[in-house]
Amino acid sequence: MSILLFSENENVARELAAKARTVADTQGLSVAMALLGETAPAGSDFAAWGVDTVYSVQNSLLSAFNPEVYTDALAAVIEQAGPNLVLVGATKAGLEVASRVSERLNLGCASWCVDFDLDAAENSVTARCMIFSGQGTATYKVRTQPALATVSPGVFEAVEAPARDVNVVSVEADIKTPRMTVVQENEKMAAGRRLQDAPVIVDVGMGVKEREDLAMLEELAALLNGQTACTRPVSSDRDWFPEWLGLSGAQLSPDLCFAIGISGAIQHVIGIRDSKIIVAINNDPDSGMFMQSDYNINADLYDIVPVLIEAIKTRAVTLA
Amino acid sequence: MKIVACIKYSLDASEIKVDAASKQLLLDDVPRKVGNIDKNVLETAVTLGKAAGATVHGLTFGPAKAKESFREAMAFGLEDVTLIEDPLDGAGGPSVTAAVLAEAIKKIGEVDVVVCGEVSDDGFTYQVPPRLAERLGMPQISYVRQVELEGDQLVAERELDDSSQSVKAGLPAVVTVTEETNTPRRPTLMDALKAKKKPVHLWQVDADLGLDKKELAQKATLEQIATEGVVINRKQQMVAGDDPAAIANQLIDLLVKENVITANGGA
Repeated sequence: MSILLFSENENVARELAAKARTVADTQGLSVAMALLGETAPAGSDFAAWGVDTVYSVQNSLLSAFNPEVYTDALAAVIEQAGPNLVLVGATKAGLEVASRVSERLNLGCASWCVDFDLDAAENSVTARCMIFSGQGTATYKVRTQPALATVSPGVFEAVEAPARDVNVVSVEADIKTPRMTVVQENEKMAAGRRLQDAPVIVDVGMGVKEREDLAMLEELAALLNGQTACTRPVSSDRDWFPEWLGLSGAQLSPDLCFAIGISGAIQHVIGIRDSKIIVAINNDPDSGMFMQSDYNINADLYDIVPVLIEAIKTRAVTLA
Repeated sequence: MKIVACIKYSLDASEIKVDAASKQLLLDDVPRKVGNIDKNVLETAVTLGKAAGATVHGLTFGPAKAKESFREAMAFGLEDVTLIEDPLDGAGGPSVTAAVLAEAIKKIGEVDVVVCGEVSDDGFTYQVPPRLAERLGMPQISYVRQVELEGDQLVAERELDDSSQSVKAGLPAVVTVTEETNTPRRPTLMDALKAKKKPVHLWQVDADLGLDKKELAQKATLEQIATEGVVINRKQQMVAGDDPAAIANQLIDLLVKENVITANGGA
């Protein structure tokens, strides 16, 4: 009886492990983690993660991420571990594997899980999930055993657990040669400091016209120990940032968020709506962002931002 | 050779409202249409079809009343659209959709490429394309930025969170596109006129696909027990003033009051 977690992203795996540990302790379950890769892990590396067992699949085909190969490996771990619940990080890679594994093993998969209840005695799992791009939530009873749920990065908080001995179990998986082959993998430029750790976010929308305008927004962010981030088209069409905020990107909860030139579409706002305070700057008086912010400035960002920067400097503004 | 474009008659999720008092999602008056992502699906499907000399067929699972909604999709250059009537009215979830689409693709026959959106406008689960690929025993090339047919192989660039991958796969295969994959064409009046002659076939899961409705209902793996709308509760206070400096200083004063910043100097 266990909760099994998998994410190819270490930060997300730690978040899932922390949440799984909390729930497992109340239900008398153990926490297991699937580790899929080319080399054997050392249990001591995970002593503070809160996991009891690491199920390791080693195979040279697990070098680059490939959904077919990872599906073979994760399915083998699930079958050997026999968990009550499988948590998978909702990265792009994780979404592919979670869905494919669910189909192969006939499992129900709750997408965009933000919380769950597991009753080990009743052998039941209910998951609360975001629906309609985050405009609502639905609570589902997962009818299959095990249940599977995908969880976005940042939904749960990673915490250091008391050191424990971690049991490493090697799993023999029948990994077939995939029909999609990865010819080359290109790492994206690494983001600087983790956006999740920034107390202030300056969020850049399509209302910002030129790439060189980012300099003033970066200055605004830096004055408050913050970071700049952006909407999907600013990243994907203009390529100004390696990642974006929103349902399909990162979801943040800073103390203060400046939404600069942002229209307010829900798919994006979900990435910033847990901010403590949101300030919107937009020249469109009907901007949807104004209904979703605390303080609204209806003006040209090019008039306001430079003056705001000067005022912050003059008045020696710092984070509280 | 055939290419299938999977599309969906979706709720326009941007039109969903929430009743602030009851937290109910107000879905009854939300308009439905073929999804925005489906334009990207159709663009990729017809582009691949033209390069390979293949016919391109639309495939969708949804309500029979959607039958008249595929004119624009057809004008991209589809041979036909097959609409499979959903006996569960959307309640089946991704496992049911994938099972039905897989049977339909087998029945259409000789399908070499299945093109799907990475995610639907309203369901937003990301589950159907990988489930479909698994069910059909096909490789999946998800989140493509570029995709081309080279002989009997698909060659693609695909986008993950921290990397992009150059990949290739033999046929048949499932491809998923994103809103960044292409810029969809705008069908011309001629395209629209030609499309008028193309048929929408209405299929039933039992009569046309040999699926048992009861068994299909049992494939629904999630039971929805409650829904709730997210109510946004922000102050929405306009900060106005005679000039930008007055506005900026007023904003700083407000943020000091909120305890998020401290200001050591006065305005």
